[in-house]
Amino acid sequence: MARFYLEKGKVAAFIAHLQSQKTVYAPHRKGRNAFAFAPVERPQDVVLDYPRTVSSIKKYFLPPREELLSFNLAENTCAQPAVAPLDAVFLGVHSYDVHAVLKLDHNFVTGNPERNYLTRRQGALIVGVGFTPDRFHFSGSVGIPAGDTTGCDLFLHPCEGGYALEVLTPAGEKLVAGFKLPAHTSGLPAAAPFQQHIYVPQAKLKDVFAHNYDNAVWEEEAEKCMSCGTCNLVCPTCYCFDVEDAVDITVTRGSRERRWDGCMLRSFTEVAGGEVFREEPAARQRHRVYRKFKYISDETGEPWCVGCGRCTASCTADISIVSIVNRLVNDYDAVKA
Amino acid sequence: MANKPRVGIFDFTGCEGCELNQLNFEDQLLDILEHVEIVEWREAMDGQAEELDIAFVEGSLSTPDCIKRIHEIRRKSKVLVALGACAVQGGMNALKNIRPIEQVREEVYGQDKYLFPTLPALPISSVVKVDVNVRGCPMTQLEFLKVFTSLVMGKSPIEPGNSVCTECKLKDNECVFEKGMICLGPITRAGCDAQCPSFGQYCTGCRGLVPEPNVEAMEEILVAHGLSMDDARKKLQLFNANQLEGVS
Repeated sequence: MARFYLEKGKVAAFIAHLQSQKTVYAPHRKGRNAFAFAPVERPQDVVLDYPRTVSSIKKYFLPPREELLSFNLAENTCAQPAVAPLDAVFLGVHSYDVHAVLKLDHNFVTGNPERNYLTRRQGALIVGVGFTPDRFHFSGSVGIPAGDTTGCDLFLHPCEGGYALEVLTPAGEKLVAGFKLPAHTSGLPAAAPFQQHIYVPQAKLKDVFAHNYDNAVWEEEAEKCMSCGTCNLVCPTCYCFDVEDAVDITVTRGSRERRWDGCMLRSFTEVAGGEVFREEPAARQRHRVYRKFKYISDETGEPWCVGCGRCTASCTADISIVSIVNRLVNDYDAVKA
Repeated sequence: MANKPRVGIFDFTGCEGCELNQLNFEDQLLDILEHVEIVEWREAMDGQAEELDIAFVEGSLSTPDCIKRIHEIRRKSKVLVALGACAVQGGMNALKNIRPIEQVREEVYGQDKYLFPTLPALPISSVVKVDVNVRGCPMTQLEFLKVFTSLVMGKSPIEPGNSVCTECKLKDNECVFEKGMICLGPITRAGCDAQCPSFGQYCTGCRGLVPEPNVEAMEEILVAHGLSMDDARKKLQLFNANQLEGVS
């Protein structure tokens, strides 16, 4: 499909053009060094050149806190809140976060379809943007280059003086329609190299993970880990949650809330009766990494980690998923050699 | 409701801020009184009750008289709720526990110290059984109302065990460490909706440490962010001197 040239000076007008059609969510600066997706109010506040956002766009389809049910104990009634398709444009999404949404689509459509997620997801249009890998990104190692356009309707490839705007779907074409842009005729600049790598393909990782359940790395990393759960909560492919019923002060009306939870948290592994089924922090660390590279991957043939680097970048204890995986690979090679 | 639960509110060593916070429920106070009958509350009324369904207890135990009183309260109460950091962990009062008790006594009371017997400041749970904790300094209204409604319904309230970090992440907050500050959020119990980090402050640990906290790892991180080991320890002791010493 077509490719246009969007010079930097026209980006704000282009965002306004998108806004005239749908609600637009895009990265904004939040705090000193952080970025977060938020609804666009002023196009000039949108930041398209950013390392990563705190949460991914997952938060719009699977909200951090969500009312699943409201009830009335006196009348013995309950109601599900209305959930509608978001019908919005997600602008400035990095390739790994688009892949993460596609993976969540798989998780939520398989088995018991997740009605709320799948409903909100309908009609979401994605405008991807390229990024310069920093010291935490490693999506290239899990098959997702910075310029990968999978799942996008439009894609903004950074180039000299602005962006090459690639049209990928009819919906994307419709979004651009009416906004006059010159064609982009030159080639795309080579993507900047990744600084972090996992050195083996998923096919080999399958063996690596099958043989490292008792590796010493789990215990070693657990010594540094505070089990704060940050790595789970910032992960764009994590979807575990907790559900809690609470009543308001009438003690009659109440609601059931679902909120994000994570397997690194001791309380997550605590079940009715007070039993904790994954008591050791080392076992929780292993479970987290196995969820990204083995348990789902053995079924789908793909890593369930998208290489965004969030877990590592936000870990105050500097625990690196790349170091863990490479350590497992090395130990596996040493044993097999 | 035919038989409203009979409630007593008690205070020990503390600033009475948590109690005061109960009077601050301006929008809910009348609703609260719909559900319970308050029969004993020194701060707001006269008289003592023989029997209680729920006792809310604020403050730490720091004198021999406190020990006697808490036993009396426990004896006459079906459910005992510890209210706020002092009652749950010993709170800031427990800072005195890290110094020789005679020295502390002399500093405060001087030559009259023999008139004021004192003990290390202890959490209520170290002396009698506590059924429910409402944490924080001061306790938060949000959590109090959750506990209150659960008890009125005859259910056990859920005590949050996650870290404060999880609540920051639910709100897309920038990590406090990213701002060049330190924070005790990683090993502090959630339930406050990450109030302090959300308003530009760092978490001081007022809600107590998470179950099985990795204190050594937290100390190392504080040191890596520029604190001396001594200062790191002091930051952690502010609200959790007892828990760090294994008293709970």
